[in-house]
Amino acid sequence: MLTIMFFELRQKFRSISTYVYFLMFFALAMLWMAAAGGAFAGATISFGGKTHINAPSSVSQTITFLGYLGIVIVAAMMGRAIQQDTEHNIWHFFYTSPINKFQYLAGRFLGAFFTLLFIFSSVGLGAWLGCYLPGIEPVHLGPIMPLSYILPYLFSLIPNLLIFGALFFTMGALFRRMLPVYVASVVLLIGYLASGPLLHDLDNKTLAALMDPFGSRAISLLTEYWSVADKNTKLVPLSGIYLTNRLIWSAFGFIMILTCFWRFNFAAISSTGRQKKERQAPAITSKRVTTAHTNFSTSGLLRMFIAQTNLNLRETIKNIYFIAIALCGVLFMASTAPVITKMFGTSTYPVTYAVLEVLSGTFSLFMLIITTFYAGELVWRERDARMSQLFDTLPIPNSLPFLSKLLSLILLQGLLLFVLMIFGILFQTIKGYHHYELAEYSYQLFLVQWPDYMLIAVLAMAIQIIINNKYVGYFLMIAYYIAQVSLPGLGFEHPMLVYGDVPRLTYSAINGYGHFLPEIRWTQTYWSGIALILVSASMLFWVRGTTSDWRGRLRLAKLNTSRSITIIAAMGLLCFASAGCALFYFNNILNTYKNTFDKQSEQATYETKYKQFERAPQPRITDVKLNVDIFPNVRRANISGEYVLTNRSSTSIQKIFITEDTDMGINHFIFDRESNADIQDKQLGFYSFTLKQALQSGETLKLHFDLSVDPKTFLGMSKNGTVLFNGTFFNSGLMPHIGYQSHIEITEDKDRRKHGLKEKERMASRDDIKALQNNYISNDADLINFDATVSTSADQMAIAPGKFDREWSKDGRRYFHYTLDKPIWNFYSFQSGKFDVKTAKWNDVDIEIDYQHGHEYNLDRMIKGVQESLDYYTKNFSPYQHKMVRIIEFPRYQSFAQAFPNTIPFSESIGFIAKVDDKDPKDIDYPFYVTAHEVAHQWWAHQVLAGNSQGETVLSETLAQYSALMVMKHHYGEAKMRRFLKFELDRYLMGRGQERKKELPLALNENQQYLHYAKGSLVMYLLQDQIGEDKINQALHEVVMQYAYKGPPYPTSRVLVDAIRKVTPADKQGLIDDLFNSIILFENRALSASAKPLGKGTYEVNVEVAAAKFKADELGAEKEVLLHEWIDIGVDDKDGNSLIRERHYIDRKIMTFKLLVHGEPAKAGIDPDNKYIDRTPDDNLIKVDMNDAKS
Amino acid sequence: MELCIEHLSKRYSNGVQALDDINLTIPAGMFGLLGPNGAGKSTLMRTLATLQDADSGTAHLDTIDIRTHKDDVRRSLGYLPQDFGLYPKVSAYDLLEHFAVLKGIDNNKERKQVVEALLHQTNLYNVKNKHVGGFSGGMRQRFGIAQALIGNPKLIIVDEPTAGLDPEERVRFHNLLSDIGSDKIVILSTHIVEDVADLCNNMAVINQGKVILKGQPLALIEAIQGKIWKRFIEKNDLSQFQQDYRVISSRLTSGRTLIHIYADQQPTDGFLPAHGNLEDVYFSAMAGLFDAPETKIAREHNINARVA
Repeated sequence: MLTIMFFELRQKFRSISTYVYFLMFFALAMLWMAAAGGAFAGATISFGGKTHINAPSSVSQTITFLGYLGIVIVAAMMGRAIQQDTEHNIWHFFYTSPINKFQYLAGRFLGAFFTLLFIFSSVGLGAWLGCYLPGIEPVHLGPIMPLSYILPYLFSLIPNLLIFGALFFTMGALFRRMLPVYVASVVLLIGYLASGPLLHDLDNKTLAALMDPFGSRAISLLTEYWSVADKNTKLVPLSGIYLTNRLIWSAFGFIMILTCFWRFNFAAISSTGRQKKERQAPAITSKRVTTAHTNFSTSGLLRMFIAQTNLNLRETIKNIYFIAIALCGVLFMASTAPVITKMFGTSTYPVTYAVLEVLSGTFSLFMLIITTFYAGELVWRERDARMSQLFDTLPIPNSLPFLSKLLSLILLQGLLLFVLMIFGILFQTIKGYHHYELAEYSYQLFLVQWPDYMLIAVLAMAIQIIINNKYVGYFLMIAYYIAQVSLPGLGFEHPMLVYGDVPRLTYSAINGYGHFLPEIRWTQTYWSGIALILVSASMLFWVRGTTSDWRGRLRLAKLNTSRSITIIAAMGLLCFASAGCALFYFNNILNTYKNTFDKQSEQATYETKYKQFERAPQPRITDVKLNVDIFPNVRRANISGEYVLTNRSSTSIQKIFITEDTDMGINHFIFDRESNADIQDKQLGFYSFTLKQALQSGETLKLHFDLSVDPKTFLGMSKNGTVLFNGTFFNSGLMPHIGYQSHIEITEDKDRRKHGLKEKERMASRDDIKALQNNYISNDADLINFDATVSTSADQMAIAPGKFDREWSKDGRRYFHYTLDKPIWNFYSFQSGKFDVKTAKWNDVDIEIDYQHGHEYNLDRMIKGVQESLDYYTKNFSPYQHKMVRIIEFPRYQSFAQAFPNTIPFSESIGFIAKVDDKDPKDIDYPFYVTAHEVAHQWWAHQVLAGNSQGETVLSETLAQYSALMVMKHHYGEAKMRRFLKFELDRYLMGRGQERKKELPLALNENQQYLHYAKGSLVMYLLQDQIGEDKINQALHEVVMQYAYKGPPYPTSRVLVDAIRKVTPADKQGLIDDLFNSIILFENRALSASAKPLGKGTYEVNVEVAAAKFKADELGAEKEVLLHEWIDIGVDDKDGNSLIRERHYIDRKIMTFKLLVHGEPAKAGIDPDNKYIDRTPDDNLIKVDMNDAKS
Repeated sequence: MELCIEHLSKRYSNGVQALDDINLTIPAGMFGLLGPNGAGKSTLMRTLATLQDADSGTAHLDTIDIRTHKDDVRRSLGYLPQDFGLYPKVSAYDLLEHFAVLKGIDNNKERKQVVEALLHQTNLYNVKNKHVGGFSGGMRQRFGIAQALIGNPKLIIVDEPTAGLDPEERVRFHNLLSDIGSDKIVILSTHIVEDVADLCNNMAVINQGKVILKGQPLALIEAIQGKIWKRFIEKNDLSQFQQDYRVISSRLTSGRTLIHIYADQQPTDGFLPAHGNLEDVYFSAMAGLFDAPETKIAREHNINARVA
């Protein structure tokens, strides 16, 4: 056995590929660390904020993930270790030598295993040495812990090598061919990816973690709620789901090894199956072959071409592996199809673009695999079948076999896309969606995606032909795919750098294909130029005959040179050069090209150059009067307007600074008093003017400005997404802003360091009086008077905040005039589109939804959402300040809804096509919920607005969440809220683990979404549960009364906390600090539960529970604190419905309770509705053991 | 119709001189190319079949330069490689028909006739719908020749076609070859002397990339008469005899060793005159003893190599 093993080892270690693999993974690991450590300007790999790159969880991720990438190498090594004897036909010698089956198999297996171990030792080595690379920022490094490198090997990598090694080895041994082995490795890669989308659904996380053969999802699940401190210091233990995963898959590997030993036939290999016998037919007198005419004219060649293509295509489709991979793809599509856009576990209608997006996303992997594999198979088909010498002497031109193979590969892709289309239509049919958009299917699949795949097909073929080594060809293609994915992360973002890189197309029901197509077409032309050159090179270097050395191939290539090849190459060059010039002019000259790093450089320069002016007193905008002319068909807009600027400071102002978006064209800034232009920095968008006559305290000044939106169109291509053909939506961010705008500064510490800037706090501290001079949505205005005239083309309507009091037509354009009878914050938006309109009423308030025709599904839910919200908010908070609520749909290029004064722009992707099943208890009516949230902003933001400091969003987002939760609770009942809050708990716990800087208590949060939305929901829901909804509403009413429309100094989250404190009974005051001013986590769980029947369906339930309370610091380091909570103890029946909830005072870590319930208990425990923040919410309930009284 | 090879040379990148200044003129009819394994036969055949390029020299089929006008050559070429496979899952008929299409026979009716006639001729008609992957060696070889004969080629190259065939199949295959019209050039490369003796009216022997003998088999056999002597010896004495005489072959017959030697006069030592055949011609040429004025011959050549 050892001899065999050492023979295998010697062989592997003599082979250059072993060292190439080693170096490759070593380099990959180093690069990975360097990128994560901030060594590359443009790189974007990160383990999540403050997590060290050499933290145990990071190292574990790195090693497991790179090990995952190496699966193909495991397949190659293991499969070949056993299969090579068959391939090279030397099995006779081994099978007849005096060794037994076990020795032979074990020797081979161990030999390959140790080689793999050597290769993959490079990952850990690279990940370790990578920490010492120059350029790595010290903040990303923690102390080196040797165990954090060793454990992933013990728990993940080595078991994986054994498990997959066993699988591939077995396949190689039993099938004696490599293709099944490679196919298996691909299927495994996919198993990993397939378990990805499942993770989106909370219910499937465990399943996904178990299904992942690599174990890395299990690690993710195990560590998902770990805080930054945990991640940096705790070793990933082999426990819980991770242990289960490892056990399952180890068992799988073990079974594989047994199968191999059992099934492996250590005897002769019959290569053809059975012996062939020819029945001798009587020899026929030889019949003279009639002379046949041959035809080598164009038509004859065409005929040959078709015949050849046909044969190639047929042979491929008949191939079992093709069918297997394609089937795998279909199954994969089927596995991801149910998640076709999901939000809070509710599905949307399977509209064609969504189906296409999800399916072609998942299927693309299979397209690439098949393209890559079959490019090799096709090019090598004759040679692999040892028929090449027959074919090569046929009187056909060189280009014919190549072109026919290329065509059959492309047709194969087309066929697969057709399969995708059929699957999509089938899926829609099953889901009961019968609005088939065949045109959209065909266009996107065959006219947009297919050409992109063709580019890949040409490349894959050309590489196979020119390199003339199948496996090196595969390897290069994989390298190409990796480059395609990773180069942008390393700063190579320019669209003309990576072959086959074509801009993405986003279809919107409102805007169709929008303005994206021309750029896609030009880019495709550009790359097809290269493709044509590759085609001509392939025609030159097509291998015919047995010449394989480069000298000979070059000579043949010279001989092959023909007019047609020259023409193809020239055409390619022409396409490449002309489209290249067009694209370059468009991207770099007409538009200024900036990659991420360049953009950040500009931000950094803005900061270094102009921050000096931040403290200079500036006048405030007090009146805004705008004329916005939108020209949808040319995607232009002219914006002219007038600000009234008032000097509210105590000093006179001589210099006025303006910051203007650099994408906007500026025609003029004119003041109504004489001024000199000083700084006119168009590149950074900073301008300054010196007034001849200073603006005295209390004086006003008018600024007139004239701006334009120019899409910079060139040959149909245009960028700038401000004005769209249909569904334009932009906001006040494009208007001139007075003074230095600190929000332009780079915020991410990592990026700041890269640009030589000092790290900065994300936000001013809560009570910073300077910061409180501004609200958090604009720093150059308080309340303003707003007046806007918006015009658009005759077929569209234009919308701005306010009630439109006049509409008229002039020169074939529609004009709308909007005014507001109350001042608003300096935050407004403009929209234009062809809309259908639905109207309704709530008391005297008009409700209007402007929506895309066909998106009628949820209008009633939204209207009901508006009505019930207005009901609840006016009753509990304060009157509604406007006379209308208007929801306007906009294209799905962005997916949010946003509240402006009385208008709510609402993305088509987050509710308009939602499919809510009222009968499904799991479904959440999110169109209703999102509407309620946005309407609530009319109070929480548009009435009470916080100053620009920590905790600011508590007064807007958290309260809007609370308001929407209450409206939902009244409409759908408490039970339904449980599921919603489960999502919020998940979002919060996930969010804190990925914190980039520091987690703060809710009341001090720094615009952190996982805090102000997710934790906010949990906190407010618990508060109203513990203190009472009416008490909370009373506090909120107080806040509105006192702080609505309050200007500088603006209120902070303190006003909310204080108001709630006032209505809270003394024994629960501690709760306020826990929820708002601390980070508190619980570990509640049920230990045991038993019940005995008392007759008449009554049961006595005894339950023992454990509770623990922890206080965490900014990075998540925890210490246990004393318990003094009122927590529910409850019992559920077998359907999960509540039988009883009793609130008990919990002050000890382990307590027992006795409860009487009506109905058969199934589960009992502590905090059954997950109201408290608990990292393992699932162990709060435990199965009730029934003590049968009768026995 | 004539194939004219001049100064053809080829050296592989590993240093092996596969063809060394080959000069041959091959007329219509069956031409035998004889030589041991590794002599350069296949290289020469592949070069003539346009599959490989030589370093220098020329080869013309009538007026067509094989090295530069490959496509023209291919239109009149039929080639049966030494070693080939077939797509496993295609029927004989379909595959042959596909070849016919690719050979330019675009008339459906004609193509059908040609394919069927060839299947008959090669005695494969009754298995025409079987997958070629399951063919035996002989069937595959016959399929190969059928394929080579499509389109009525003027130049047919068959590389070691009978290697590995059983005697019956070999005879059948020889019959097939002999049926090919005498108006074509048929080049048969082989290391089996009998093949050439049975079939060819012209031949050449190449060894180590050089032509060491060329002529007509009958004339060559005629020329060697009276120079070949035979004797049974003890096995142990073989090396002594090899020192004393120019032994061209030795073989075991009924447990005793029979040697043939080459000598202008009958040696004294109990040698008897042998009727020289083509095999003796071949071995004499290989040993550098016979009619190879323009080539220098390596002395110590292993001539025990035998044959069929």
